[in-house]
Amino acid sequence: MGARSGFSAQTQSVLAALCSQPSQWRHGYALAKQTRLKSGTLYPILIRLADRGLVEACWQDEPVAGRPRRHLYRLTADGLTAAAEALASGDELAAARSGARAARTGRGVEVRVVPWAG
Amino acid sequence: MGRLSRAAAAVGRGAARLVPAGRRDWAEAVWAEAHEVSPGLRRLAWRAGGVRLIAREALIARRIGSAMLFAVAVAFVASRAWRGSSANAATLVDRVDVITTVLLLAGLALLARRFFGPARDSRMARLLRVGGYAAILALMLAKASVEQFADAVPQGGVYLRLYRDIQGNGSPASLYHWFGEILFLVIMAGYVAAILWLTSRRSPVVPATLAIGTGAGIVLGVVIYAVAPLGLSESATNPWLPGSGVDPLVALAWMLLLGAPVAAALVAGRRYSGSGSSLPLADAKMRQGIAAGLLANLVGALFVTLLGTGTIALMSKAAWLRHWLYGQHLLGAVAYSHELTASTDAVAYFLICLTFPMIGFGLSALGVVGAWGNSATGPADPRRGGGGPPGPEPAPDPPDGSLLAGVTDDEIGLAVSLLSLHLQGPGIEQDPIAVGLADAAGQPVGTR
Repeated sequence: MGARSGFSAQTQSVLAALCSQPSQWRHGYALAKQTRLKSGTLYPILIRLADRGLVEACWQDEPVAGRPRRHLYRLTADGLTAAAEALASGDELAAARSGARAARTGRGVEVRVVPWAG
Repeated sequence: MGRLSRAAAAVGRGAARLVPAGRRDWAEAVWAEAHEVSPGLRRLAWRAGGVRLIAREALIARRIGSAMLFAVAVAFVASRAWRGSSANAATLVDRVDVITTVLLLAGLALLARRFFGPARDSRMARLLRVGGYAAILALMLAKASVEQFADAVPQGGVYLRLYRDIQGNGSPASLYHWFGEILFLVIMAGYVAAILWLTSRRSPVVPATLAIGTGAGIVLGVVIYAVAPLGLSESATNPWLPGSGVDPLVALAWMLLLGAPVAAALVAGRRYSGSGSSLPLADAKMRQGIAAGLLANLVGALFVTLLGTGTIALMSKAAWLRHWLYGQHLLGAVAYSHELTASTDAVAYFLICLTFPMIGFGLSALGVVGAWGNSATGPADPRRGGGGPPGPEPAPDPPDGSLLAGVTDDEIGLAVSLLSLHLQGPGIEQDPIAVGLADAAGQPVGTR
């Protein structure tokens, strides 16, 4: 997964999380919980996506009293397109893999290779 | 918030300042978000990720890597240069040289960072900086080896007689010798400072100029090395040349010495578009040109000095090199005579180091003044082209409304509609073009 779309599996999970509510601004911690990525992995991914113009970021206008302002993220129009393509290719690949797995479990006995035979 | 958390938050805010301004938001974002994470190990883990991000973005890893590489190179050079008999007068000189050079390289880098900023974020600038430092360290190594050979007095026999013939009877570690070392170190300090300034972030010299100057310098250095691989004495140090001033290679070397800085200056100046410079274009082109010319001869001098001194250092250790240089197998006293002569002549390279950059600066300055000097007057004006007579004065702005003279009301109405269609956002009322068009058409701004 990831090789076909150019995104790693972790980046695809971030794209998927952002894609689930594309119009909403999302916090880093919420994304981390949804993707189960650690902050040291999540933020470099967000930075790379922002550098490529796929994610936009801004600071919260009205912070909760006693708390610092939070940074918010959402997909840009380009990001939405790229995410849709990446997730679609990821689905295709996953489907192909599950198909291959099913084929192996169903007919594996017939195609088993015995190199030293003959 | 506990004391530990407050301390961690303060450290994080301080550490975020290490990150370049364009990336600082991201470091602060991780730290701000930590308040949403439940206290304890989870928050600590979140902040650990933030530290990783800061380290990565602040390029601490690269800085640590560079510092370690520099330390390893210095340790290697020092260990090699430190060897040598204490009876050899050159040993003490070389030890002082190594210590001073290392202090110069490290100290000037810190000073340059303070005054000119860190290295420019360009591959060419980093390559030039690393290459310059590596060349100077390698030169220290070669120089120490050559000097220790030249100052090692043979025990007796024909070798001692040759030594006395070539070196004379004077003590090697004389006042003259120390003066030469101080001069060499001052020249090297100048080289290091020039390389650091040219490759720093606040330097106006663009990477293309660095590439042109460095390329011209490498060509110059290789040709001069081919002419004088073992110093500048004609008696023993130009083995594959007849030693004639009309030899084609010698003529090419002279042409390059005088022509390379001018050519580099003109090419760099012509290529420079002036974007981002506050200077008039002609002045900015001249500045790029002089930098390229200076760099060409500076790199050329450093290159030929390193290659030549390295060849002389290897010559006394490798018979195959002597054979390759002289085209015959040299035996005993003859080989020693050539080696000692070359070791003594190596000092000529330091004259090259001193004079080449001056020649490069002077000739490139003459070249760029000839090319752009006539047009380099007055403040920046984007309408001004290259040389030639000044063009006619621009016509004064017409009175209000007459800018749109000849334009029909329908056309103005269409333009206003298009503008209001595309510029609906806040601030359209302040847009002078939109307001002017709307006034002319008698329509308010922002309506379709």
